[in-house]
Amino acid sequence: MSRYIATAAIRGAHKVVRQAEELYADALKTVGPDAKIQFKDKGGGGTAYWLPVIYGFTGQKVETIGDLKKSLEHAKGLLPPLPGEHVWLPYLGETLDAGMATLFAEEIIEGIRFAKGQQPETRNGFTFNGPINDVQMRGWGIQMVDGRMPGFAALLGAAKNNEVAVKIVRELQSKGQLVFLSSSSNGRSIVDQLLESGVQLGYDTFTVPFGTDTISTIYALGYASRATFSFGGVTPGDFRRVLLYNKFRCFAFALALGPMDDVKWATGAGAISYGFPAVCDTAVPNILPTGITQYEHVVSMPFDDIPGRDDMERAERLVQRCIEVRGIKIKIATIKIPVAYGPAFEGEVVRRADLQSEFGGKGGMCFEWLTTRPPEEVEDGKVTVVGPDIDKFEVGAKIPLGIVIEVSGRKMQKDFEPVLERQVHHFLNGAEGLQHQGQRDITWIRLSKNAYAKGFRLRHIGDILHGVYHNQFGAIVDKIQVTLYTEPKKVQELIEKARGIYKERNDRIAGLTDEAVDTYYSCSLCQSFAPTHICVINPERVGLCGAYSWLDCKASFEINPTGPNQPVKKGPCIDQTKGEWEGVNKFVYEHSQMKVDRFTVYSVMDSPMTTCGCCECVLALIPEANGFMVVSREDYSMTPSGMTFTTLMGTVGGGLQTPGMMGHGKYYITSKKFILTEGGIKRLVWLSKNLKEELGEELKAAAEAAGVPDLLDRIADGTSATTPDELVAFLQQKQHPALEMPPLL
Amino acid sequence: MAPLEAPVEKWTGKIRELKLGSGGRKTITVGGGTTLPFVKFEGAQPHRPAIAIEVQDKEPTDWSEFLVSAWGDALKNPGAWAKKAAEFGADLLYIRLASAHPEASNTGAAQAKKSASEVLSAVDLPVIFVGPDVAEKDNEVLVAVSDVAKGQRVGLGNCVEKNYKTIAATCMADGHVAIAKTPIEINLAKQLNILLSDVGLSPDSILMDPTTGALGYGLEYTYSVMERLRLAALMGDGMTSMPMICTAGEESWRQKESKATLDVPQAWGDNQERSLIWENVTAISLLAAGADILVLRHPKTVVTVKAALDKSF
Repeated sequence: MSRYIATAAIRGAHKVVRQAEELYADALKTVGPDAKIQFKDKGGGGTAYWLPVIYGFTGQKVETIGDLKKSLEHAKGLLPPLPGEHVWLPYLGETLDAGMATLFAEEIIEGIRFAKGQQPETRNGFTFNGPINDVQMRGWGIQMVDGRMPGFAALLGAAKNNEVAVKIVRELQSKGQLVFLSSSSNGRSIVDQLLESGVQLGYDTFTVPFGTDTISTIYALGYASRATFSFGGVTPGDFRRVLLYNKFRCFAFALALGPMDDVKWATGAGAISYGFPAVCDTAVPNILPTGITQYEHVVSMPFDDIPGRDDMERAERLVQRCIEVRGIKIKIATIKIPVAYGPAFEGEVVRRADLQSEFGGKGGMCFEWLTTRPPEEVEDGKVTVVGPDIDKFEVGAKIPLGIVIEVSGRKMQKDFEPVLERQVHHFLNGAEGLQHQGQRDITWIRLSKNAYAKGFRLRHIGDILHGVYHNQFGAIVDKIQVTLYTEPKKVQELIEKARGIYKERNDRIAGLTDEAVDTYYSCSLCQSFAPTHICVINPERVGLCGAYSWLDCKASFEINPTGPNQPVKKGPCIDQTKGEWEGVNKFVYEHSQMKVDRFTVYSVMDSPMTTCGCCECVLALIPEANGFMVVSREDYSMTPSGMTFTTLMGTVGGGLQTPGMMGHGKYYITSKKFILTEGGIKRLVWLSKNLKEELGEELKAAAEAAGVPDLLDRIADGTSATTPDELVAFLQQKQHPALEMPPLL
Repeated sequence: MAPLEAPVEKWTGKIRELKLGSGGRKTITVGGGTTLPFVKFEGAQPHRPAIAIEVQDKEPTDWSEFLVSAWGDALKNPGAWAKKAAEFGADLLYIRLASAHPEASNTGAAQAKKSASEVLSAVDLPVIFVGPDVAEKDNEVLVAVSDVAKGQRVGLGNCVEKNYKTIAATCMADGHVAIAKTPIEINLAKQLNILLSDVGLSPDSILMDPTTGALGYGLEYTYSVMERLRLAALMGDGMTSMPMICTAGEESWRQKESKATLDVPQAWGDNQERSLIWENVTAISLLAAGADILVLRHPKTVVTVKAALDKSF
């Protein structure tokens, strides 16, 4: 806690409380204790919640001047003593108490002003709004709950100049933020600045002018308090829930424009209790650690020091910083590109005759690379094209292209980079006339003549990515900027760099072992048709459908915490070789309708994992061969077990636990944990031919690691054996290691 | 021979009790069971399932002649229709704001307020309002209705994953009950309940609509999903323990067995009788699956289902 801020806030609190006391004493004489207090806006719309901040905190219904006595005593009771000169660490708790005392006193002052007919404020012929009425609060409250409106920005003081004031308000509005206006700096108020610039203020334009003094800022907190009664089910008086509701659900913050003073600090200290941080456009101490607010408490951004070409850009960055500090998520309603966008275009093919430009593919060069950067290095929505655009090339040209996506986010993790990068394929294919294939440095993109004629250029690739990442991965990314390179030298240079990263990622995945993590993830997507089946996905065992890896599940959980992928704590290990953990068993029991009480991850003979029906492969025991066969879903032919894939599925699917048989993802075969208990890949005696071909390299590596480099040649397939006898003959001829291994039965 | 002893299961969970109606309006409470439907020797079933009758805010154009003749001119006016439904024995009403559908009259908030006021002043029964099932439009009309019905604890639906937040917010603000509709899927049903609770709506203000398949059109699938929802709730899962509402009337009257009157094979029997059987069988099966509120269309079905409940509940 900054001593400077704490001292100023406590000083400010004393000042406001004293002012309230004086006004109260005066009001008793002038209007009397029975004078009514009723908050109303300039249109006469009122509230049923008395003085809402006081009501929310104490449950007291202030109806008359006389009722204020109790509130005033409450405020005085909260007031800490001014820190002495030699107290070097004034404490957070005292400052927050001072803040609350300030809010009480401010509401008392406005109450007295109402009783005296001095509110809403009128100045130079303009009537301020005063407190927001209940009907409007309800209307906006619904939008805040359903997410259309993230929260409100309370602007205090005056901006550098009128243009900056307008720009700040416009930027906030474009982010859906409600704007409240109060206070002044050096006698100027942002309300003056906006009125002089011809900006319409009022409920209709989502800009509400409260007043020219700092005290009127209390109406913002009164609004926040009332929202908790309406939408949070909070009982007035339950101040803890009033504050927590606002911290977690109302994305509000204060933006202090111009010099700070004691009363502003004191009011800010009150707002911090609600979880509302403050950003100041002047040089003040920062309070960065997280605590009462979700992230930083006070952030200083001296306006003229903000990097930017001009004041407009500085204003934009100032607002951007506020959004980050409060953790507000941006939704992009429509992606502004000249062609249609939607799932209907995903399967579209651009043929040679329709081809305008081509990136990558045979003989070309194209890559995509998504990387995380610190927030200050990413400017949200920025799209840069380095090198000539499509219109500088002839029709049908093959253009080198590098797509570099830089993201930042509080919840972003290095491990999510490949998960997010893989989405480029899906995201770009949604655009009409754009065809995308491959990934990483084997990306191949085609653009149709039609899309080009409609005005599609390279920057639109960036616009698509920016919009769709925000909308679908907003839970983990906060800012996205995209750079598109077409200069051959630059693309060449970057593709080399990206390849280094791809390799690092491969190594990381290879090194990501089950032992290295304490949490696995579940997948319950298939419970709609296999109600007792639950998948548990490990780093070394991909989901049986092949679609979900451990990393995918981890990201999916961050994005959708109530979704189908939930964390499963491993808990104490029961058997390392079989892959059995207490935490996993407990989870499986609870999520299989108590049908499966234990299962092992690395064994097929003892309580194997269940199968929904989506598995890529079925593994089954062939007793005569003392080993297992693996049949691929794409293999329709007969297998040595006497059953085809379809028949096997009838035995293994639907959430059944069938020792000796199980479904799995094809990449599980190449995992070090492949049926570890039974001896691993050396037990593989028969494998569908298509898998042999598809997984060739990886299988070879796994065989080498198992100490049998030519194992693949000794494994039978549909061309060499379709009966147990043929299989055994083949294995004997090839001297398959499984024949020498301990008997399975 | 020793008498057969009924196997008794010990459940730890309970279906939530949900109250509709308040502020001078009649009230009805559903749910509260501590066992599967009708298994009375095993646990308590404090509240009898309720019968709602469907009313629309515009005259339906695609209804079977048997429905049209049963209701007559009442179909032309939601207030009159609501009154007649009350006379026919409805425990509560299910008002579909059909005119708001973009492909119908595309009416908006103003019309919704008007229709809602008409119905609310015509009857004192508990009421549920549903939109045209077009997410954005639902939000528009339901927020308006919520305001009109403030404090009367009506049901508002349907919340789907796309629009649940707005409906939840308005339910919280005005003290109503949200109807959470999911497409015959246990996990999605549970997820929507969690999402609604996360927004801040009390789990005691949620009714689940698990989506109904009519007889011959997925009834058994609905049945099994509902049964699993009930089993999960009785095993103690608080996020599947909301009472359920089933639109049996709408679903059965959509099917060709109810609608067809021309070139019908003789073996299918009398047209009207068959239509009624379709709604009856669908409805009674859903009671067995665990429906707490049945939404019906034909007055005769109301009589039959009530008689069935009289005998078995």
